[in-house]
Amino acid sequence: MEFSVSKADLVRELTLSQGVVEKRTTIPILSNVLLEATEDRLLLTATDLELGIRTVCPARVKRPGAGTIPARKLLDYVRLLPDAELHVRFAENQWASLVCGRSRTRIAGMSRDSFPELPPMPEPLAELPAWVLSSMIAKTIYAISTEESRFTLSGALLIFREGAAAMVSTDGHRLALVEQREGLAELRAHYRALIPRKAMAEILKLAQEAGPEATVQFSGDENHLFFRFGERLLISRKLAGNFPDFERVLPREHPRSLLLDREEARAAIERVSQFSDERSHAIRLRLAAGELRMHSSLSDTGESEESLPVEYDGGDFEIGFNAHYLLDFLRVLDEQRVWLHFKDAQSAGELRPAGEDAGYTYRYIVMPMKI
Amino acid sequence: MSDARVVFHVDMDAFFVSVEELLDPSLKGKAVIVGGRPDQRGVVSAASYEARKFGVHSAMPLRTAYRLCPHAIFLEGRPRLYRRYSQKVYEVLCAFSPRVEMASVDEAYLDMTGTERLHGPPLRAAHLLHEAVRERTGLNCSIGIAASRLVAKVASDQAKPNGILWVLPGCEARWLGPLEVRKIPGVGRVTEQRLHALGIHKVGDLARFDEAFLEAHFGKWGLALAGKARGEDAGAWFDGEIGVAELPKSVGHEHTFDEDTTDQEKLEATLARLAEMVGRRLREHGLYARTVQLKLRDHCFRTITRTRRLDHATQIDMELIACGRDLFRRNWDGAPVRLLGLQASSLAPHPGQLDLLGAERARKWRQALSAADQVRDRFGEDAVSLAAGLRGSFRERVHETPVALPGKQPNGGKT
Repeated sequence: MEFSVSKADLVRELTLSQGVVEKRTTIPILSNVLLEATEDRLLLTATDLELGIRTVCPARVKRPGAGTIPARKLLDYVRLLPDAELHVRFAENQWASLVCGRSRTRIAGMSRDSFPELPPMPEPLAELPAWVLSSMIAKTIYAISTEESRFTLSGALLIFREGAAAMVSTDGHRLALVEQREGLAELRAHYRALIPRKAMAEILKLAQEAGPEATVQFSGDENHLFFRFGERLLISRKLAGNFPDFERVLPREHPRSLLLDREEARAAIERVSQFSDERSHAIRLRLAAGELRMHSSLSDTGESEESLPVEYDGGDFEIGFNAHYLLDFLRVLDEQRVWLHFKDAQSAGELRPAGEDAGYTYRYIVMPMKI
Repeated sequence: MSDARVVFHVDMDAFFVSVEELLDPSLKGKAVIVGGRPDQRGVVSAASYEARKFGVHSAMPLRTAYRLCPHAIFLEGRPRLYRRYSQKVYEVLCAFSPRVEMASVDEAYLDMTGTERLHGPPLRAAHLLHEAVRERTGLNCSIGIAASRLVAKVASDQAKPNGILWVLPGCEARWLGPLEVRKIPGVGRVTEQRLHALGIHKVGDLARFDEAFLEAHFGKWGLALAGKARGEDAGAWFDGEIGVAELPKSVGHEHTFDEDTTDQEKLEATLARLAEMVGRRLREHGLYARTVQLKLRDHCFRTITRTRRLDHATQIDMELIACGRDLFRRNWDGAPVRLLGLQASSLAPHPGQLDLLGAERARKWRQALSAADQVRDRFGEDAVSLAAGLRGSFRERVHETPVALPGKQPNGGKT
């Protein structure tokens, strides 16, 4: 195999595949990127067996063929080269020679024969704006469980319906649900699947790289999910198991509601949480007529209180929360104002953006702390 | 002098044996050993003074006791009965001081400070107390009187059986001096050996070393030891006020099988039973546990412990069982099991972060468990149990500290 590519093109595509390359090298070939030169392009493939990515960059191919090179080493080196054309040639013994200007390097590669085969993408089930998918991910990814024991919570549930899509995530303490209609009038697919967290993180990168006008084609087979952004394809294993029946835990009534300025609330909670317990991040919210007080105390360190004026006359009320849970939501919100809804100190509270936007619904359900 | 504290340590004499004698007077004056049959695995819970003459003492394996004293009468022991008598004793003690704390089923501390006008000077009060216990329960006790809990405890031990001993304030170090170091509560066999290695045999020897030396050899414990040698309530819960509970750091139960077993169903049922007992105690104390630890000892005496942090704090049996069972399945290699234990730690008086997905189920469990606890309060610990634990039910050993000792208010003085 022998080809030439632009250094900038190669760095861009290699960077996109880095998140997929296996970091722990239990199977050495998985640390490598598969390079395949055909006609006028170079295909790059990386996988950790859970996730696979295939990207393309234009190339002048002198001799078609395939080979693999350690992905990290290749990127680290190529990134340091001047912006010029890079010439790559694979020898019979799997060593790759790289020549760029006056720089010459040889890197030990491995045969493509032992590189895992990625499944082919079936006919697309749906096509939607890439920003819709990445917006749904950004609004749910933070609530995914990081506990290994809660396997079915280590991803988000993706639902496609007639003209709408939804994404739900939970870690057992809180739940984020976003339902999107805007931009999905054409959607006809009916589909449900669990996307692993790592795949969601890669989709965010691919959508960003693809730009605001791009679309994503979606498909699935028995075990895999496919997301195609132009010529770039992300393949993820489906998470097996059943996602909890989330509709059962959505609150139905809110006797107490108040409207807050997002930035004011965020800044106040950030300050108060400096004096909350390092592990639980517990803070107290005290509601009284016209005022929301937030309070934290740490026995040997100090205490802190914030007061926000609010429109509220639902009676005195106190509830505890993990400050980080509240901040996670306030930090991803686009809207200027946010609704807080409570029932009592033992029941889930709900946060929602305020606004007349009918294009999407965003609900964030958080269980309180008893402190 | 007059502002010195007055602490009584009341220790029942051969408690389990004495209760058995009350119900069967023919046992009186004989060698009686409570704990189980002589061929059973397990240890002596209590021995009559007659049996002690042959070298039998509590915590000794039953088989050893049998070798030393084959003619003894071996009894299984009846924890519920002893607890009932313990409660009777507690009620008598409460008439003497508002601050009574049962340290175990057969011993108690009383803070008698400031009761002189009511009960007279300490020796007279102790005499009245001794009489009252005898009259109301038919049982003998020994009483140690001192200005600290520690010295009171050592004194009651020296007063046994059926005696009263008052160590005058200011005389503690002189009185403790000639005693063996192991008489100090907290000095076990290991510490005793290490002290002997340093040439320390009597408490008085200890007092001659400076604190820095003891701290260098025994760490923080060394400092406490130095204080104890002077008769101070130094270290651990001896520091605490009588009648004011500190939060326990952990709650655990373990069970030694009569015969080593590989029967997985039986092992898991036992684990379920242990989890139930742990859950019961957590609820008694009003505590929530965040960490669960499994202890597994096999036939070769290899012991492993495995710990898991739960993603929310709990006091629900089923959640403890699920965690314990999972730890067991992941760590049991199939070797015959001698002992299983389950311990809950990272305890807090509040549940902290509440669970969203399991909230409804947890609420139902809480109701069911609170009903079960009420039944147990009235009819005993075995009155209700989970079906999962039925095959694992075993006789509660009599040396176990009962679920809740009177005199400690959960979270007393805090929050």
